[in-house]
This record gives sequence, structure tokens and C-alpha cells, in this order.
Amino acid sequence: MTPLLLLDGISKSFSGVPVLREVSLTASRSEVLGIAGENGAGKSTLMNILGGVIAPDAGNMVLEDRVYLPRDPSEASARGVAFVHQELNLFPNLSIAENLFLTDFPRRRVLGLPLIDRRSAAQAARRLLDAVELPLSPDTPVERLSQGERQLVEVAKALDRDARIVIFDEPTTSLAARESARLFAIIERLQARGAAVIYISHALADVRRLSSRILILRDGEAAATGPAEEFTEERMISCMVGRAIGQLYPARRPLPPDSQPLLEARGLAHPGILENAGFTLHSGEVLGIAGLMGSGRSELARILFGLDPCERGQILLSGLPIQHLSSRERIRLGLAFLTENRRDDGLLMPASVLANLALVDPRSSRLEPVAARVGVRCANLDRQPVRQLSGGNQQKVALGKWLVSQPRVFLLDEPTRGIDVGARAEIYRIVAALAAAGVGILMISSEIEELTGMCDRILVMRRGEISASIARPDFDREQILRVAL
Amino acid sequence: MTTSRNLRLKLLDAAPLLLLAAVLLAFGAVSPRFLAPANLLQILVQASSLGIVAAGMTLVLLTGGVDLSAGSLMFLSAGVAGWLLLRAVPLPLSLAAALATGLLAGLANGLLVARLRLMPFVVTLATLYVWRGLGLDLTQTRAMNLPEGILRLASARLAGVQAPVWVLAGVLASAHMVLSRTQFGRQVYAAGNDPAGARRAGVPVTRILVVLYSVSGLCAALGGLVAVSQLGAVSPTFGNQREFAAIAAAVLGGASLFGGRGTVFPGTLIGAVLIQSIENGLVVTGADPYLFPLITAAVIFAAVFLDSARRRNLEILHHRKIRPDAGPS
Amino acid sequence: MRGLLTSRYLVAALAAACFLVFAPLIPGIATAGNLSNLLWNMLPLAVVTIGETFVLITGGIDLSVTAIIALCSVTGALVMNGRNGYLAGSAAAAPAAIFAMLLAGVLLGLVNGFAVTRLGMPPFIVTLTTMMFFGGFAVWLTRSANIDALPPAFNRLSGVGTLAVAVVVALAADWTLRRGIFGRWLYATGMNPRASLVAGVPVHAVTIAAYTVSGLLAGAASVLYTARLETGSPVLGQRIFLDVIAAAVIGGTSLFGGRGTVAGTLAGVLFVALLDNSLNLLGLSFFLVLTVKGAVILAAALLDSAARRVLGEAVE
Repeated sequence: MTPLLLLDGISKSFSGVPVLREVSLTASRSEVLGIAGENGAGKSTLMNILGGVIAPDAGNMVLEDRVYLPRDPSEASARGVAFVHQELNLFPNLSIAENLFLTDFPRRRVLGLPLIDRRSAAQAARRLLDAVELPLSPDTPVERLSQGERQLVEVAKALDRDARIVIFDEPTTSLAARESARLFAIIERLQARGAAVIYISHALADVRRLSSRILILRDGEAAATGPAEEFTEERMISCMVGRAIGQLYPARRPLPPDSQPLLEARGLAHPGILENAGFTLHSGEVLGIAGLMGSGRSELARILFGLDPCERGQILLSGLPIQHLSSRERIRLGLAFLTENRRDDGLLMPASVLANLALVDPRSSRLEPVAARVGVRCANLDRQPVRQLSGGNQQKVALGKWLVSQPRVFLLDEPTRGIDVGARAEIYRIVAALAAAGVGILMISSEIEELTGMCDRILVMRRGEISASIARPDFDREQILRVAL
Repeated sequence: MTTSRNLRLKLLDAAPLLLLAAVLLAFGAVSPRFLAPANLLQILVQASSLGIVAAGMTLVLLTGGVDLSAGSLMFLSAGVAGWLLLRAVPLPLSLAAALATGLLAGLANGLLVARLRLMPFVVTLATLYVWRGLGLDLTQTRAMNLPEGILRLASARLAGVQAPVWVLAGVLASAHMVLSRTQFGRQVYAAGNDPAGARRAGVPVTRILVVLYSVSGLCAALGGLVAVSQLGAVSPTFGNQREFAAIAAAVLGGASLFGGRGTVFPGTLIGAVLIQSIENGLVVTGADPYLFPLITAAVIFAAVFLDSARRRNLEILHHRKIRPDAGPS
Repeated sequence: MRGLLTSRYLVAALAAACFLVFAPLIPGIATAGNLSNLLWNMLPLAVVTIGETFVLITGGIDLSVTAIIALCSVTGALVMNGRNGYLAGSAAAAPAAIFAMLLAGVLLGLVNGFAVTRLGMPPFIVTLTTMMFFGGFAVWLTRSANIDALPPAFNRLSGVGTLAVAVVVALAADWTLRRGIFGRWLYATGMNPRASLVAGVPVHAVTIAAYTVSGLLAGAASVLYTARLETGSPVLGQRIFLDVIAAAVIGGTSLFGGRGTVAGTLAGVLFVALLDNSLNLLGLSFFLVLTVKGAVILAAALLDSAARRVLGEAVE
């Protein structure tokens, strides 16, 4: 039996950085293909290509024996590909039924006018909600639903389209246990109906349980594929992680035993965000924070820096309590924060390199030396807008602006996201030099390899709590991933 | 959701009706004449013109935009009608021409906002002056006294209720029907809540914007005609700053400046009656007429403040949770 | 083409081109009397538009400037007028009145600034509302009458005094924007308020300060206009409302924030003043002048949007 969906040699690069390298996969009717991989392995990009959000640079796709190259999501939808995203696309100010049928309501003519047939809509909605076992009235405004309930509405939307292929992207991250069980029953029913299901998740146990076949992605390549029976969780993890490190990371001396505690967190808690988070960062130490997306790492950084409030707990800088200080005051005391998304809140895109470097400390005369130190390559430091620089150079500028004021503690959130290997090596060099000079570094990263390469110690966060603290001698990439999951 | 936050939101939602009740009681306390049935009906008749314009404004607000040219459009359309009537063009034709003027002007606004992606307030601020300039040129800044026929139209009664109220009822009913019972209407709310997401979902956002601005222009024209039919003349300052009253009526009726929220019925109706009650009440209680714009401005400020407060409360409520099973927020 | 579209000097170039083409067709434009008139029209307009530029750079807008001009004018006149002013006849009348006018401008600007930052309300509707309120208040204070009999010392400010004020304001504003830390913070806030906040820029304070500067300069412009008119008027400034917005946008200050210079604003003021002057000399009715100005604002906004799209910035 020919597979329903065939992807052959799909490749994609963003700004010269390859994200997918000749990935091939097949999905068959009444089968679940489970896909696992670390953050950055290329899962989202692959699914966005399938769902018509972006186009591949190379490779073919065949769906039901016809060429499949959707130009936008509605084309994908029309061909029977339903996508239940991690980020929901619902309108909270409308009801469940209205969200389900927004572009194809059942209608009836009243005096020549096409009015919504409320009763049919309610009945059809009821049927879909029953299929996902959501016992709510179709007229409920979506803004009253929990995240899990909203996700089920998205699933119902997918069911409505009589989809041939249903893709689930990280469906259980915001679901409570009960809701997850409902989801699994729905997936079994989809299989029985003859649809092909693609299930992407970090929850490896679930992936094993549900899938007929499994594909592991690593660094944009298909690292392993085969029947689910051939995969144990251990094998899945080692496929996700294994690769030679290479000379990417600078050599680092071990931390001297008399190193002073620089930044301490004690019992930080904020309802719904953090629970009992505590750690000690020493001078000259690189402390990594591992964990899945949504585990609360960036939220922790924002709280440490003072951008978000924290209900309980203490933050001490060299013994001085700072949890009541504003972020401006913390900057003056020597804190720095390189955020996750340089485009959103790290850089002034229309401004020049020098203007950006001067953002934290405008009076400084050290701008050009810092630019040289971080190795920014551009045509004109004073005139060229940062927008025109490569991702790596942009990140160097975002980093550099903090160096101008010589911080004592540096919070880095995904410092090498979306930049090429050469720039990454340079950034690692800068971080190592900072640590050697006594700066305390907190490095949040989704790449376990980067953490094991750079850090003295790694904290693992999960659902707003710090679930493990692993010292360098005990670094084991597979174990870290296991704890994070 | 904590009960206090829940309660706060419920209160904000019921605000329009509560405010109306408060205003009626306040003026009634100062001057009992205010609450006489004849006066209350009079308020409704006076509010008709504003209600029609505000209905169009509500539609535009639903998309997260605004139509600052509404007042000038009232003036221009009324001017067109008057100009034609004074040259012995038959009444139906003159009225139709006036309505067409409003529709086309609204269309221009819509195209500039939706297809050229210009900011609504800039576009309609500029067209505010374009329409007013054209209107003043048309009327040569002289008051136009309109023929008898039009005054008779305004005072015609059906089932004891004057014509303007029926026109208002018609406008509210059709707008309400479209917004709540047609696919187009529901898509308007989606487009207002999240234009990018709506586009992703296949909603024709650009077309919706163009249509709604055109309808707003039409409503401004219709509201202008209803008003001058009651006045009997088009003065050079007719419609001046009327868009503010329309915005106030819409926002007080529950429409949000941020889009995606609000109803024409009962929302805009309550809002228009509320504004008109304030204006009427100020006259009946003999307040200093110089205070009127001050009070209107204060009322709009309060309305916008409530809208912003509600939005901030909603945002806090829906911030994504890391720990979904954790305790109350 | 791309460079031309985004150039800061596009407008000045366009203005020069337009007038080189049209000048020969307009009767009386080059006479000494007309040019002198033009200059005195431009100076107070430049002062208030420079204030508006500060607010636009932060990504906001101040639509209440002309109402602030009116209210300040009335305030000053109430203090210093010879008939029943608070300091009628005193030597301190004029200086005290000027102080009161500037102070009023500052306070009114603060109201705008707080409403926009602390209350989180959209700038255009906040300042539209305050425009109604301040204007209505001025009319209420004077029962819509003008107040004359202003001390001669005050009236003498028109003429060289106006020139001096305009030059000082322009130089000070230019220095602030180009050299001061406040200037850097202003542009940063307009370009990316989130990034600025993370980097420790006091975004809220900067925004409030921008609206306060706008109010202050509207107050200063009010002094100049009132001196020229020799009358305190509650509708002063209504005529120039469109001119201020048009001049700012045409002068290269983007409505989206993060861009704008004093030089550009002055170019925009020159353009608008020349336009106004030409249209009047051509005998166009006042109303058609309004129409043309409205159309010009639209064109400027279009250019602004187009420039941003060319630069690859989101236009949403």
C-alpha cells in the first residue's frame, strides 16, 4: 500500500543557516508517525512546511499520489492536512461554535438573506465536541476556556475538516492528565477512521505508546526511523543527542574553590509561574539552565532581572537583597540580561551599531573598543542600521551593549539562537573570557550540547521548578534530557 | 479566575446600563421634569441622529479602527441634499444623492485604511478636513434653509412615534442582524480581535474593512439627514465634533477602541441615549451651555479609561501559565 | 529610488521643486511684504511643531497642542490685561503672564503624558479628548470673548522677540535631540519601547517628558501668537491645527516613531507655510485650503508608510 504522504529530501535554510537537511519521511493511513527531537532539531520547520506556512528550499512532497506544495495554510487545509498547532489560533471573543465554523457556517435563507442556521451549527458543533469529549455548550465564549479545553477545540476544528492527515504539535504541554487521556482516545479514533496522524512531542513515553512508527530528528537530519517496537526511550534519547562536540567550545579552567557567591535565589515563587526556585551563582561561574520550552526559564530570568514581579522569595546580589529593586536599579548594581529574542527586545533595528551599543550606558566612551572586542563586522559602525547585519553580528551588538557598563552578573537567554557556527564560536569565546574575569554567568539554552560544552554546572527546570542541579564531572547529555522531560 | 476579578469584569460589562441609570436618576433628582415620559421620548427622538452615526462608528471600532470624519460627512451629505433641494431636485433623488455621497466617502476611507494600510486615525483626520472643506465650499458658509417637505418628513408619526426613531430602529435592527446572525458579522469580530490570525484562518479582512468604513460613511450621511430634517436648515457648523459624541456613544455602549468587542444593540443604543440624556439634562437643569463640551470630553475620557482598564484586566487574566494546575491567580 | 524615498531630505527637496515650478504662476509671492508675512507666520508654527516632533518621535501624537495654545493665551491674558487682569497695570504683569502661560503648557502636557503612560490609553484619543476639554475650558473661562488691552511690553514680543524665541527653541531642541541623553532615550523609546525598557531606559518618564515638552512649546508658541494678535483668544490656534500635523509628518517625522529631526521639521514648516501662502494668494477659498491640506496630510502619511515598507519594517 503506497503511503498517504511522502516527503523526499526536504531542505530549508534561514539566512544561510541550514535548519533541515534532506529530510525524508512517509506517513500511512491508519498509522501514527511519532516525531521526536530536541528544540532546534527542525521539527517546527518541517511541520510548517507541511502545513503550508513556509516553502521548502529543496525536495518533493507527494500527498495521495499527487504533488503537494501548498502556498498557504488554507491550501494545505483544502488538501486535507489539518494542523493542531502548539500556538492556538482561536478568537477568544467568539463562541466555540463560531470558532469552529468561522469560514463555513451552516446557513439558511430567511427572506432572501443568508443567515447563520444557529440550530444546525449548534448540532454540528455538539457532534464535534462529543468527538473530542468536551462537554461544554457550543455557545460558550472561548475566553472562558482553559488552555487544555481550547486545545481540544482546535482538535475539533481539525476533525471537522475531514482531514486525511492530522498533525499534532506538542499537544500535551498545557494539558492536565485527564485531558491527555481524552486526546489519546481521539487519536485512536482518527486512526480507526483511516487518517494518518503525525504526533510530535517531547513526552517520549507518549510517543512510544501512540506511534506505529517513529522518526527522530537531530540537527535538521533524520537521525533514525523505524517501527515503534524498535525504540526504547533510552535509544530515542541517544539518537536525539549523539554527536561529536568538535572544537566549538573554548577550554575552561575549573572554578576555584574559594569563588564567592555572587547571585543567590532563595525560594522564589509566583503563582502559575515559579515554585520554590533557588540556586547560587558564583563569581567566575557559568551556570546553565536546561529545560523544555515553557518550563519557566525565561520567566525566571525576567524575575531575577526585575522585569516581572515575584510574590515570594529572595534574590541576593553579593549578599544584598535586590528583589524589591527595579530593573534599572539592578542594572546599576551590575546585572545584565541578553533576552531570547533580539528582534523584539534586544535591539533597535533602525539604529546604528554605535547607537545600539550606547543604549545601556549612553555616556560611555568605550563604545568602539567594545565593538572591536565582540568582533562586530559591518560596513559602518555609525551609519549602517543594525537591521542589515547578519544574525550573528546582531547578537554580538545585543551582547555588546551590556559589556559597555562592565556587568558583574550576566543573564543569557538562548545566546546563540539562529546564528551561524562561526559567530557562535566567537560568542562562546566572549562568555568564557567574561567568566575568567570573574563575571557570574547564567546561561539558558535549549541545546544540551552547548550547556555541557560551556557550563560549570547545569540546573534543569521543569514546569516552573528546578528539578536537578548537575555538576560538570557528572555531565551526561542523555540524563539531562531525561530530567528535563 | 478569582471571584474579585470575575466580578470586576462583570461590572465593566454591565457599565453601560448602570451609567445610563445613574445619569437618569441624577438629572431626575435635580429636575423632576427630566423624567417626564414626554421628555424621555423627546430624548429618544433627539438621540436618533446620533444613534445612527454611532452605529456606523461602532462597526468601525469593532475592527480596531476609528472614523474621525463622521461629523464632517454628516455636514457634507446634508449640504449635498440641501444644495440639490434648493435647485428643485425632487426629494427622493436629493436624499439618495446625499446617501451616495456618504457611501463613497466612506469607501475612500476604507480603501486608504485597508488597501494602503494607513493608520485609521490619520486617514480619517485628514478626510475630516477634506469633507468639511468641500462642504463649506458647497454651502458657501451660509445656512441653507431647507424646504418644508423635509420638516414634514421628520415630524411624521407611525404608531405615535416620530419618523427619526423608526429610522434609528431600522438601522440598529439591520446592523444587529448582520453582526450577530451572518457569517460576515462574526468574521468582523474575529478580524477585530486578531487581524493576522483572522487572515490565517481565511477571513477576508481587507474586504471587511472596506465594507465597514463604507457603511460608516453611509450611516454618517443618514444621521446627518435625520438631524437636518429635524432642524430644517444646514448651518455651517453642523456636525462639528459630532464624531466625538458618536465615539463616546459607541464606547460607552461597550465597544472597545482596541477592536473585537461591542454590540450595536443594545450597546450603541444605550450609549446614544446616555449621551443625549446628558445633553438634554444639561439643558433642562439650566446648566451653563459653555460647560457642554467640557462635560462631553470628560465623559469620553471616562469611557476610554474604562475601556483601557478592562483591556488590561483581561490581559492579566489570560497570560499563559507555566504551571496550569497550580492554584488561583 | 529606495535611497531617495527614505532620505530625510526628500521633503525639503520636494518643497524646493514644487515652488520652483509654481512660484512664477503665483502673483505676488516674491514681494517683500509677502515674504515678511510668510516669515512671521512660520516662526511660531515652527515652535509648536518642534514640540509635536518630540511626541511623534516616541511613537505617540499630541492632537491637543492647538487647544493648549488657546488655553495658555487666555490664561496669560487674564493675568496681564489692563482692564481686569490679576496684575493689571503692574510692571510685573507681562513677565508673570509669560511665566503663567509656560507653566500652564507644562501642566497640560503633564496631563496628557500621565494619561498615555499610567492609564495606558491610546495617545490619539487621549489628546483628542484633552483637545476638546482644554479648548472648551478656554471658551468657558472667557465666555468665548477675546481679551485685549494687553500691556505694550508684552505686545513688543512680536517682531524680533519672536525671531529670538524661535531660534533659541530650535537650537535647544536640536541640541537635545542630537546630543543629550534624553534625545537618545527619546529615539530608543520610539524605535522599540520593549528593548529600551529591558536596557534600563526610563520609558514612562521619557514619554511623559515628551508630552510635557510639547505642552511647554505650545505655551511658548501661544506667547508669540498672543503677542502678535495683541489679544488673548480662546480659539487661538484652531487655524493652525492641520498645519502642525502636516508640517511634522511632511518634515520626515514618522507617525510610527523613532524618526524625526529639527531640521526636517523646519523643512516641513516651510513647506506648509509656503503652501498656505500660495493657496491664499491664488484666491482659493478658506475651505478649499482645508481640503488641500487634508489631502497633503494623506499624501505625507502614504509616503511615510511606503518608506517604512521599503525599509522592511512592519506596517501594521
